[in-house]
This record gives sequence, C-alpha cells and structure tokens, in this order.
Amino acid sequence: MNTGKEHHPSKKSTPAVESKGALLEIQDLHTHFHTPEGVVRALSGVDLRLNEGRTLGIVGESGCGKTVLALTILRLIPQPPGRIAKGKIFFQGVDLLSLDDKGIREIRGNKISMIFQEPMTSLNPVFTIGSQIEEVIALHQPHLATTRRQARDVTVQMLDMVGISSPGKRIDDYPHQLSGGMCQRIMIAMALACKPSLMIADEPTTALDVTTQAQILSLMKDLKDETGTSIILVTHDLGVVANSCDEVAVMYTGHVVEYAGIESIFASPLHPYTKGLMRSIPTIEARKRGEILHTIPGNVPMGKDVPQGCTFNNRCEEVMDICRKEYPPVFVPAEGHSVRCWRYRR
Amino acid sequence: MNPLLKIRGLKKTFPLTSGIFRKASGHITAVDGVDLDIFADETLGLVGESGCGKTTLSKIILALEEADAGSVLFDQTDIRKARGVELAKLRKGIQVVFQDPFGSLNPRKRVGSIIEEPMIIHNEGTKRERREKTRELMSMVGLHEDMLDRYPHEFSGGQRQRICIARALAVHPRLLICDEPVSALDVSIQAQVINLLVDLQKKLNLSYLFISHNLSVVGYISHRIAVMYKGRIVELSQADSLFSRPLHPYTKCLMEAVPEPVPGRAKGFGYVKKGEGGLSGSLTGCPYQPLCPQATELCSKESPRFEEKEQGHFVACHRAG
Ligand SMILES: Nc1ncnc2c1ncn2[C@@H]1O[C@H](COP(=O)(O)OP(=O)(O)OP(=O)(O)O)[C@@H](O)[C@H]1O
Ligand code: SF4
Ligand SMILES: [Mg+2]
Repeated sequence: MNTGKEHHPSKKSTPAVESKGALLEIQDLHTHFHTPEGVVRALSGVDLRLNEGRTLGIVGESGCGKTVLALTILRLIPQPPGRIAKGKIFFQGVDLLSLDDKGIREIRGNKISMIFQEPMTSLNPVFTIGSQIEEVIALHQPHLATTRRQARDVTVQMLDMVGISSPGKRIDDYPHQLSGGMCQRIMIAMALACKPSLMIADEPTTALDVTTQAQILSLMKDLKDETGTSIILVTHDLGVVANSCDEVAVMYTGHVVEYAGIESIFASPLHPYTKGLMRSIPTIEARKRGEILHTIPGNVPMGKDVPQGCTFNNRCEEVMDICRKEYPPVFVPAEGHSVRCWRYRR
Repeated sequence: MNPLLKIRGLKKTFPLTSGIFRKASGHITAVDGVDLDIFADETLGLVGESGCGKTTLSKIILALEEADAGSVLFDQTDIRKARGVELAKLRKGIQVVFQDPFGSLNPRKRVGSIIEEPMIIHNEGTKRERREKTRELMSMVGLHEDMLDRYPHEFSGGQRQRICIARALAVHPRLLICDEPVSALDVSIQAQVINLLVDLQKKLNLSYLFISHNLSVVGYISHRIAVMYKGRIVELSQADSLFSRPLHPYTKCLMEAVPEPVPGRAKGFGYVKKGEGGLSGSLTGCPYQPLCPQATELCSKESPRFEEKEQGHFVACHRAG
C-alpha cells in the first residue's frame, strides 16, 4: 500500500478521547502548505463527523482541499512543504494526530485504507497483481494466509469478490495487462484485504467510463453492505454523491461550507455555492426549455486571491455587507443540516 | 440540403502489438464503416466510451490520420484526396478544440501569439490586422484584451479553454471539432464554456462535432446525437428522441449508468452488466452482443444493419422496435 512520510504535529503519550457514537470526528482541522508564493491554507478549520456504516461524500471544485483532507486523515501530507497546523481527528475515540509513527502505521492499512484516483499509478508495475494483494494480506491479515497456497486462495477469492472474471488466471497478470476499471477493482480488493473500518476513496471513478463507473460504485455499495465498512467518497460529481452517499460535505477554499443528509441537500441546498453548483449541471430538459446554463461567475480563488470575510463573497449572488468583513460561523437552520453563510444568521 | 460534412463508409484499423518484442498480433478496427452527416449550424454530439474510436474519427476529419477506406466530404470536396492548396483550404475550414487546455497550449508563447498563429500559418492579413483580430477574438471569448502578453500558466483551466477556442476561431472555420472540451473543467466553469460555445454558434454560424463521454453535457448542447460503440455508429437521432426513447441496448446502458443528481432514484442497472466485459475479438455478429441483455442467436451470427426505425432515428440492432 502507500508508504508516505510520518508526521506528528503533537506527540502526546496518552491520546485524547472524545464523545461516543462517531467513527470519525474532525474538529477545527488546519493544513497549510508553505510555498514560495506564501502560505496556502488548504484546510482552514474543517469540522466533520462520520458514523459507523455510513458513506460520507466530499464534494467541491478543483483545489478546494478534498485530497488534502483525505491525506491529512491518514497523515500522508508531504512535510515540508505541508504542515498539519491545528485540529483533532478522532477515529474510534483516538486522536490520530496524537499518535506516534508506529501508531499511525497500524491504523493505516489495518483500520483505514485508501483508494486513489489513478489506479494505474497506484499499482506497482513490476509485480503481478496477485503478489501485490498477497503482500497486503500477509502484512495485515497474517492469520488468513499462513502458507503461500492459502494466501493465493484468499487472493483469488478477493478478486472474485470484486468481480474479476477468471481470477485464477488474472492473478498472474501485471497491471499494464488490465483496463482502468479492472485496476480500480484490484485497488478495492487491496483496500478491503485488511478489513478496514473506514475506506477513503479519492475520486475512484473519475478516470473511468460511465458504465465502468456505475459498476465500481455498485460494487462499493455491495461491499459496504456486506462488510459494514464506512466510506469517505471524494468526488466532484454531484450525481455520484446522490447515488452513493448518505451524507455530504461541500467544500470551498478549505472549509466545509455545507453539511447535510443527501435528501436534505438535494431538496433544499442552502449555501449559495451549493445552489450554484446544482444549477450549473446541464440537462436535456434545460435545453428543451431553451435555458442558458446557470454559471457561477469567476474562478475558484487560490492563495492570496482568497477574499477576506466569506471566501465566496466575490462570486456570490446573495452577498451582504457583513460577508466582506467576517467569515461566517456554522449555522444550523434545520436539524442535521449545517451551513457557513451569513444568510442563515437568526 | 447538402451536408457540410458527409462521411461515408469510413474505416481505419491499427495493428495490435503484444509482448516486449512488439509482435503484431492482429489488428483493432478503430473506425468500422462510419456514415455521418453534419449540417450547417448544427451541433452533432458523439458519445461513447473511451477507446470506441471517437478521437480517431475526429483525427481523420482533420486530416491528421489516414483512413483505410471511405470518404470524408467537406463542402463536397474529399479530404482524403485533397492535396496542396485545396487541402490547406479544407484544413482552414475545420478547426479543433481538445480536452486538455494545458497540453495544447505552448507554455513558452504569449497568449497573443498563440491566438495569432493560425492566421500566420494560413497567411491572413498584415501584422497590424492580425493583432487587431486577436484582440477581437479575445473579447469575443470573454478574455480581457490586457491579457494578450501573458503566458498560459497564468490562466485558469476555463480561461485556457477560452484561449483554445479563440485560436480555433481565428481563421473563420465552418466546422469546429470539440473533443471533450469541458471534461477537464469544474462544473461551474464547464457551464461558462458551454454557454460560450452555444453563443458563438449563433453568432458565427458554426457547426460543431461535439465529442464527449458526458451524456448530460452532450444532451444539453447537441441537436442530434450519434452513439458510437467499438468503431461503429450504433444509434443516431434527434437529441430529444434519443433521451426519451433510446432504441439501442448500449444507449440504454449508457443512460442508466449516468448518475443523476437526484437522490433515491435508485438505479436498476439492468443494462449495466457486472464484470469487465469482453475485449474486442474477431466478431461476426453485433459488436455489443457479448454484453447485450437482449441478444439472441441471430445477434452472434449476423451484423445488424444501420436502419431508420423511426423518422430520423437510426439504429443498428436486430431487436430494436
Ligand atoms: N504539495 C503541495 N504543495 C503546495 N500546495 C499544495 C500541495 N498539495 C496541495 N496543495 C494546495 O492545497 C489546496 C487544496 O488542494 P487539493 O489537492 O486538496 O484539492 P482537491 O480539492 O483535491 O482538488 P481536485 O479536485 O483538483 O483533486 C490547493 O490550493 C493546492 O494547490
Ligand atoms: S456569507 Fe455572504 S458571501 Fe458568503 S455565501 Fe453567504 S451570502 Fe454569500
Ligand atoms: Mg483531489
């Protein structure tokens, strides 16, 4: 699996403990990158919560911090230039940021696994897919594979489970012999080999055709139902969210600007950015009505272009005076539906 | 009415190599007997999964790739036979915008010269006139004229795609091939570029061949849509009737696979088969037969003809109503 550098912003000997119920609870998380052009606040105060057996979608446009969030949870941020500046990440009650290298390595791959966007580049080209999966099993589930023979059998089973046909033959293939969709199935097989409590998938289907995407998403859903694994699904596609997630967090410039159950967010999006995103999706109905597509003016601001106050104020149709002065706190206009926008101040 | 572009019986095969010694192990048919028309002021959408032959088809139209058989008539002149001045004229009339606005712009050139370049290639105007035209193009695609002297890396993805569009329009083409022009862009930026393309079409009387794997984008922008599968056009119709009444099982599969931004609209995935699907081999029957839930004996034996099943709605399927 992945081996990144270890980071430990604070090395406490006894991990802090938080409230019960949530599998993952993130509090006021800040990750910064120190670049020649200045400090990039890739995450600037993220709060999130994920319960057991749920799928949380993270959506937002390029550069909003989705991948950095995923990497921060696993403490895989390259350092330097990156730094987890502040915050807490409680996973099963333990603050991941308080763990030492050994502690986080045990979590990674055993309890939390990750799938990346580019399946081809995440597999090692010089080893057969079988040997790569066997290695993961040997590392994380040694009791399942005490002999070579056993390891191979378990691997064939896993390939079969993720829908690879004739797995007994495919096991000896090299990554380049497989299509993108097949590689992604294998990444899923590897991610599941350690029976994780949480699987983080960063744009797992973005590089794939729609039909293959539909297969991979339904595969992930089936496996989740079988194993009870919770999933964080990073995507920029609201259609994928609607079809695969229970809750969704919308990110913009390193903040979670809206968080809700999917029924609620699609029925009544609150944040002007979320509303804009939803109205920008082209449909054949819109064309029949002769509608011009709704657009959000301008671009996603980066670095020093990020405005003061609400970071969306330079693109927002509903901007008010206060929006230019102060960043909005979290408002909760409906139960389970929170938003960072001054419009919802009571 | 004569079509602006008329493609008949177009075929292109590539040798397939395998192993470290690159031994030829057969061939793959990227474009397999394609017939298509694009009319003036029309947007023809072309959808299909990666590797189905969309880009090869567009390269043949652009005379960047040699076909093995068939004809491509642009304004009644065959691109495959044209040479010299005649070919240069055809090339001017057909321009292209690619998916990757990063890769297709020279990073060492200023935006002004990038946009001006096609005019130089086609020997248009004086230096002054070209500069003037460049400014005009920039404002037409919604870029500030002051940005003329900047380099591509100083622009966002959406702005770079605008630069590509401006460059493509510099020599007054009549057909613009858009090969996944918005696929690399975020939704809000994608919408800006789509609106720009729609607007330019009206202003400049352009025809578009709009290639994309994104059905909702294609559905929004196209007048007619062609669905391609393994090198063949399997369905072709008005956009509305394709969406309301898809006839080919592959088209139905595509429509089912698109995740709609509506929660709870659970997908049956009846057409989207589990498993990775068959790789193309030498097939006698319908190319979709190995995956098709509606396939019968006949489908594995005989290749279905591309026929008009309803007014203006063509399909190549033995089972289509
Ligand atoms: N190694 C790095 N060095 C400097 N800045 C970085 C680094 N990695 C990420 N960033 C910055 O952090 C911010 C968030 O990036 P991130 O990759 O998380 O975005 P994303 O939401 O995943 O976007 P995408 O949809 O394009 O994948 C961006 O401004 C990015 O430029
Ligand atoms: S806080 Fe103000 S600027 Fe920000 S999204 Fe809300 S209304 Fe718009
Ligand atoms: Mg990312």
